Amino acid sequence: MTLPILPTTMVGSYSMPGWLERLKTDYFARRISRHDLDEIHDAAVRSAIKDQEMAGLDIVTDGELRRDNMIDYFVERLPGIQIDRSSKKFYYDFYDSEVLGKIPMAAVGLVEDFRFLLANTERAAKICITGPHSLCKRVRNKHYPTEEALATDIARVMNMELKELVKAGAKFIQIDEPYYSGFPEDISWGVKVLNILVEGVQAKIAVHICYGNRYGKPSWEGSYRYLFPAILDAKVNSLSLEFARRGGEDLDLFREFKVPFELGAGVIDVKDNSVETPDIVAERIRKTMKVVPPEKLYVLPDCGLFHLPRDIAFAKLRAMVEGARIVRKELGK
Amino acid sequence: MNLHLNYTRKDSAPATTSDVVETVLSLLEEGHIQPAQFARLEIHLDWLQYKQNFREAVTVMQGGDEHGGSAAPMEIRIDSRQVAPGALRGLLQAAIGPAKPGEESGRVYFEDFRSFRTSIVWEFNRLYWQRLKDWERVTGKAYDQALPGGQSDGNQAQSVADSVAEFWKLLKDLEGQNRLPPEIFILEIGVGSGKHAALWLDSFCVFDQERGSNYYPRLRFLLGDYSLATLEYSRPAVKKHIDLCSFIAIDALDPIRTLSFLRHKVLHVHSTNMYDNLPDEEVVWRDNRIYWVQSRAYLPPADAARISRACDVAIEDIPKIANRLLEVGAVALPDRAKGMIFWMELWKAMRTEEKLVDAVDMPDASFPAGLSSAHMEDILRNAPNDLRFHLSPGALESFRNTLPLLHPRGYLQVQDIFVTDLQDYSMGFHGPGKLDGSIVNWVNGALLREVAERAGYDLHFAPFKYRPGSKTSVLYTTRRE
Repeated sequence: MTLPILPTTMVGSYSMPGWLERLKTDYFARRISRHDLDEIHDAAVRSAIKDQEMAGLDIVTDGELRRDNMIDYFVERLPGIQIDRSSKKFYYDFYDSEVLGKIPMAAVGLVEDFRFLLANTERAAKICITGPHSLCKRVRNKHYPTEEALATDIARVMNMELKELVKAGAKFIQIDEPYYSGFPEDISWGVKVLNILVEGVQAKIAVHICYGNRYGKPSWEGSYRYLFPAILDAKVNSLSLEFARRGGEDLDLFREFKVPFELGAGVIDVKDNSVETPDIVAERIRKTMKVVPPEKLYVLPDCGLFHLPRDIAFAKLRAMVEGARIVRKELGK
Repeated sequence: MNLHLNYTRKDSAPATTSDVVETVLSLLEEGHIQPAQFARLEIHLDWLQYKQNFREAVTVMQGGDEHGGSAAPMEIRIDSRQVAPGALRGLLQAAIGPAKPGEESGRVYFEDFRSFRTSIVWEFNRLYWQRLKDWERVTGKAYDQALPGGQSDGNQAQSVADSVAEFWKLLKDLEGQNRLPPEIFILEIGVGSGKHAALWLDSFCVFDQERGSNYYPRLRFLLGDYSLATLEYSRPAVKKHIDLCSFIAIDALDPIRTLSFLRHKVLHVHSTNMYDNLPDEEVVWRDNRIYWVQSRAYLPPADAARISRACDVAIEDIPKIANRLLEVGAVALPDRAKGMIFWMELWKAMRTEEKLVDAVDMPDASFPAGLSSAHMEDILRNAPNDLRFHLSPGALESFRNTLPLLHPRGYLQVQDIFVTDLQDYSMGFHGPGKLDGSIVNWVNGALLREVAERAGYDLHFAPFKYRPGSKTSVLYTTRRE
């Protein structure tokens, strides 16, 4: 499948409908069954895929609508992690979870969800997973001597899963590591663990690093300067960073450090309900092209669209696609 | 019949519980109350908390049908303090008995039944804040002298000093992590006389100098209020710090609209007694159904006649002149002094009738942003039956539209009167009352907490410990993980 120049894609999540939130919470309150919830998820994911296609995205995801949040979907599946299932009041809350012994090597079970995505679209498909650094920040470590040791074992298990995903047809994989920005002091071991995660995984791999999007608001503020030079050792193809909300000042870091990666540039502010015009998006893309050539550029929102109302999320994606088309036209592509 | 006793005070109440029971039973025996009516009666005794309020001694809450008509009485509320000795029977009989055909109540109405939050009474509240000086000139008292305790709890020096110390700790922590922004934004919503802002800045300046931290020059203190007059009024109080201050007219219900350039940048937002003065309405939860309380403002006949005489206006012209008053103030009458009397007497005498409307008959009525009907049902699932509570839509709206201003480490601190548990609504009345020319309502902190949780914040309420007997609580937010 050939992608156009400046391919457009989502960071991962799509707008979570109010009705689905209610039903997820009903499931936790034991008012609906797992079987019903699975069917509901299938319908919601199909709808999210269709919206992305209608908006004109080149690479689509499943909208992550099966996930309660970026952590629980994984800790529920990771072998050896204990979960207190009574610890959620609202579906979006994090489970209290802890690790009491060494994490065994076992399947995580993401392949089925990816196959569902492939079966429901003709477009290029991307799967997004939460990285080991972020996961280890939400799991109480009662076994490993250090967070790095815990994250390393999570990375080993997830590496096996990524290879399974590749076998199932995954060509685009995104690793989400927002907690880097909250714990910049971890960046050198964070990158080491990231490399264990992606070792031998034959796909186009991006790492998404933002300033958090929990409840649709940033968890931290600062500059991406903390990533450098450690991130240059990452064995990934692409960095996905947020620039729309924060402005493009940190783009200069790409010039300063001669960054070899492709860039997934965030050109849509996901923390503001006002919809960007295609012209604003085009301007943000042009600004990015001053430091990264268009052949190495992907066009994305700053982060997931999870917290935006559906109509706004859709309109933002449309504006993003239109903005990319404007710039492609200027490039004669 | 159910009789609810709330805050019965024998010492000041001419009508007692036994009076009420005896009177109602005799009305039943004499056929003034029908047995079916009696079975549905809910009588609340000593319902009122504020001496100045919008009720008469005995009020009846009508149950409305989908056609806007009214059915038999469902609820009677009695403020025993207002009942003259021997008057209870007549008042109850008049309240319960059917209106005779063609009988005029003599009340002067200002509006049709509507949601309380859109009632004209809130226009009077706005008028008060916009023309505060006119009111104070006549009463000879500053507005905060009308508050319980004679001053705003926001101006308590030790409370301000503690708040400053807490904020300074946050700045120090951020600096230690190399995350302290070059400009430190602080927002006060509802500035009053400016005394709180002045005290806070004085205190911060000293605290900062003593520690040599040099944060003070980096402060950007925004004083926000919807009344330009109030902003002007507050300016002299902060003159020592004027270079750090900005005075911004904002809609307290929607601060982010004016201050969108500060999205995620403000480290501290403060307000005192602001939420309790924002438009409110109430709902009733009864038999697993939600009812909206609709109201309409009126003048009782005797008050209308008195105001007519005192101000030389025809009774039928009172609503028209009242609307003019809301536009131009006391000059609505040729004699400005009489205009002030008109305003003050009208306000003092203004009452509201109420009726309940089943939520299913009002499909267009909506809960405040952040609260869906499904969410409300979840919240009410374990609530006591027959619960009347504030929806606090103004406070909820203001709260939700303030949160996006907060820096990831920023926090909101609100000093106000909160009902922190829904159950507490079954144990008393929490407004609306009148405070000078303004309205006061307790704020539904339990609903605020629910909305906050969905927006990523935990809410905490601490009693205001700096003034004995204070009913104020301090709300503060912490980030929810």
